[in-house]
Amino acid sequence: MDINNRISRRESLQKLLTISGTAALSAFSGWPLIRLGSVRAEPAPRRFIVEALGQTAGYSVKELTRETFNAAGGMTRFVSKGDVVAIKPNISWARRPDLAATTNPLVLEGVIELCYEAGAKKVRIVDNTINDARRCFAITGAGMVAKNTNADLVFPRSSLMKQMKINGHRLDVWPVFVPLVEADKLINLPVAKHHGLTTLTLGIKNWIGGVGGRRHALHQDIHQSIVDLAQFFKPTVTLIDAIRIMIKHGPSGGSPSDVAVKNTLILSDDPVAADALATGLFGYSPEDIGFIRLGKKWGLGTDDLQQLHRKKVVM
Amino acid sequence: MKAQHLVWIRRISQGFFLLLFLFLLIESRLPQDAFVDYSLVFSSEQDLKINYPVRFFFQLDPLVWLSSLVSGHQLIKGFWWALGLLIMTLFLGRIFCGFICPLGTIHHVVGWFKPALKGEHMVRANEKTPSQRVKYFLLITVLVGAVIGLNVAGLMDPISLLFRSLALAVFPAVAGGLQELFEVMAKSDLKVLNLLSHGGEVVAATLFGFGFKAYQTAWFIGLIFLATLFLNRIRPRFWCRVLCPLGALLGLCSRFSILRLEKDQERCTNCRLCTKTCQGAASPMPGQDWESAECLVCFNCFSSCPEHALSFHLSWSSPRLNKGPDMGRRAVLAGLLAGISLPLLGRLDGRVHKVADPRLIRPPGSLPEKDFLTLCQRCGQCMKVCPTNVINPTLTEAGMAGFWTPHLIMTQGYCEYTCTLCGNVCPTGAIREFSVKEKIEGPIKIGSVYIDRGRCLPWSGNGPCIVCEEHCPTSPKAIYFHKEMVIGPDGKRQLVQLPYVDLKTCVGCGICEYKCPVKGLPAIRTISAGESRSLENQILL
Repeated sequence: MDINNRISRRESLQKLLTISGTAALSAFSGWPLIRLGSVRAEPAPRRFIVEALGQTAGYSVKELTRETFNAAGGMTRFVSKGDVVAIKPNISWARRPDLAATTNPLVLEGVIELCYEAGAKKVRIVDNTINDARRCFAITGAGMVAKNTNADLVFPRSSLMKQMKINGHRLDVWPVFVPLVEADKLINLPVAKHHGLTTLTLGIKNWIGGVGGRRHALHQDIHQSIVDLAQFFKPTVTLIDAIRIMIKHGPSGGSPSDVAVKNTLILSDDPVAADALATGLFGYSPEDIGFIRLGKKWGLGTDDLQQLHRKKVVM
Repeated sequence: MKAQHLVWIRRISQGFFLLLFLFLLIESRLPQDAFVDYSLVFSSEQDLKINYPVRFFFQLDPLVWLSSLVSGHQLIKGFWWALGLLIMTLFLGRIFCGFICPLGTIHHVVGWFKPALKGEHMVRANEKTPSQRVKYFLLITVLVGAVIGLNVAGLMDPISLLFRSLALAVFPAVAGGLQELFEVMAKSDLKVLNLLSHGGEVVAATLFGFGFKAYQTAWFIGLIFLATLFLNRIRPRFWCRVLCPLGALLGLCSRFSILRLEKDQERCTNCRLCTKTCQGAASPMPGQDWESAECLVCFNCFSSCPEHALSFHLSWSSPRLNKGPDMGRRAVLAGLLAGISLPLLGRLDGRVHKVADPRLIRPPGSLPEKDFLTLCQRCGQCMKVCPTNVINPTLTEAGMAGFWTPHLIMTQGYCEYTCTLCGNVCPTGAIREFSVKEKIEGPIKIGSVYIDRGRCLPWSGNGPCIVCEEHCPTSPKAIYFHKEMVIGPDGKRQLVQLPYVDLKTCVGCGICEYKCPVKGLPAIRTISAGESRSLENQILL
């Protein structure tokens, strides 16, 4: 539960030296730098989106998670050896996993295992919970996952909230949950839910749980606040858990009758696209959701899935 | 056995029980294991359980047992510990005071460490005085008051007093100071300080938990505790000699004790070392009558006498009783009068018979007010264990009679939907044990909420907000919306979702009040009306 292994100044200098040293050496041998240069010359690589569906009864959610990442080129594409990875699930409510108020613990466990397999040094589960954090950890299953996978479970304490420059259109300075910013790689792992104010809560709205302070006041201009935060955090990749989704009484629900089973996972490096695809699960279109419209407007991503490299996985 | 050995056995026992007390106090919290195995398919919420017997010292305390017996007519759980202690006292005198009582141990240490009095002054301070009758007055007040229906034992009971002082004042004060230090260090640009801060915080959290705690009147609780510690400079163990009602109760029982101080007048050289080290001012010197009711069985006189003129013996055969406790007729009469007056005066504020205070929101599972006041020890167990810090001691909310009893301050925390810890730890059952099911599916209701439309953001036209509805844990939600047009400050009409409260489903947990963005006096507030423990304090038919 501690975050004592942050990268220090000295360490980063050492790393920089190593990298530049390697670059200087490889200038003689010729190949890596040339490849690097050629990548830079190309236009930005096409972003991708993977939609995975578990159709057979009794399929393994963890296997589906693995297949989803495999379809995108494997976890090694996103996580390198020695990385500190912060995973931002939605475990804000002290609700049982089957009530779909929180990220499915099996998906969480699957992602953490993939990170470690890809060579991550440390994986942290980071969420500023709404209910008492210890109750959330215990009831949502995140605690059990942390124990099984040896991931850090970061307790959202006040000393880990630091005022940072958000530089958004609405939010200027806001307290941010530090481990999210200090990680090498950031994986957004929300659950798809109904929401009383924003209609839906999907990927980019999950960043409300990455900040502290008077965040209940964010509801007064919720869509712009969400987009500001999403532009600040910039995750490596977003995986939307739609194994179970909450179709009414969101975001906290509380009854199995609020839940629909969709057996779906959506993985993308375009945060807006992932959300846009997920709206379909609820019978909405991307234009219905304020933060998707705004996200598109401010260049956070696209809701036109045709522009993306699109893949489908069925189990 | 040599006297010196007895003293060391006493010290070890005191240290053991003080550490045990502190350990159980620290463990009176939400179980720290967040890594529980939570299967994905279970259908009902699990009840929380604390893995340690955190009520042990209260079960060992005969004053808690007796006062709840005569007042609430309840045999509290685990009372045989107290019964056993009383029987032990019949044989061995106030051995609890000398060997077990953690508050006594703290006073003992404070009096022993750099004593304020030297030589002749210390001898004089340890001579018996009539002021030692005060504790009998307090005991009689407490017990007579309890019979008539108001249990104030916990205000003076040493276990309750120590638990309350440490849990609500000393620990939170230390934790708050450390937390502030850690936050200053965490903000620093020096890497070393950051690391120290995070490390220190994790270590401190194992004792104190994360974050700041606050308790209404905690400064006063702490001040009283400091004052009782300071009294040791006037006379060693002032509290135990003069004020402790439990000491008085045990003193009464020690009349029959067979552990007796035998004095050898021949050997005594009048050096008065025995009096100088006596903790209870029990007249240990040969020539004086030994006061068994005052003796704290510390064995100091036995061990300090250079002439071996004093010794403790178990005298099975001797039929005579010890010297009776010096209670004084005035102390008895005054105790009777005070004991009768307290409950009768205490009800004149009308909290029990006329109208409940809307702010007096008792923890879930609390008994009806009248029964509650016969059992609550005001010990602070429920306040210590509460994970959100919502349970606080009352100041005026429960009237004079209910001073320092627990109530919920929703701006400070909220009642966690699936938490049952307060009922789990209450030593007397003033908050009965209840299950998560009772809390979620009924019948338990803590109170109800109402919306202050003038302050509410959407109702007052100041913008959209759904925070109360979003946090409402019940299903179906007790807060629901109607979409309506309101006129904003700019005079324009806008469509917002206006919150309404369904009093039938609201359980009064107060999370809406706690999370409401309108700070200070929130736009949605919790009141006690609708609480399931009262037949009168209701709103709906």
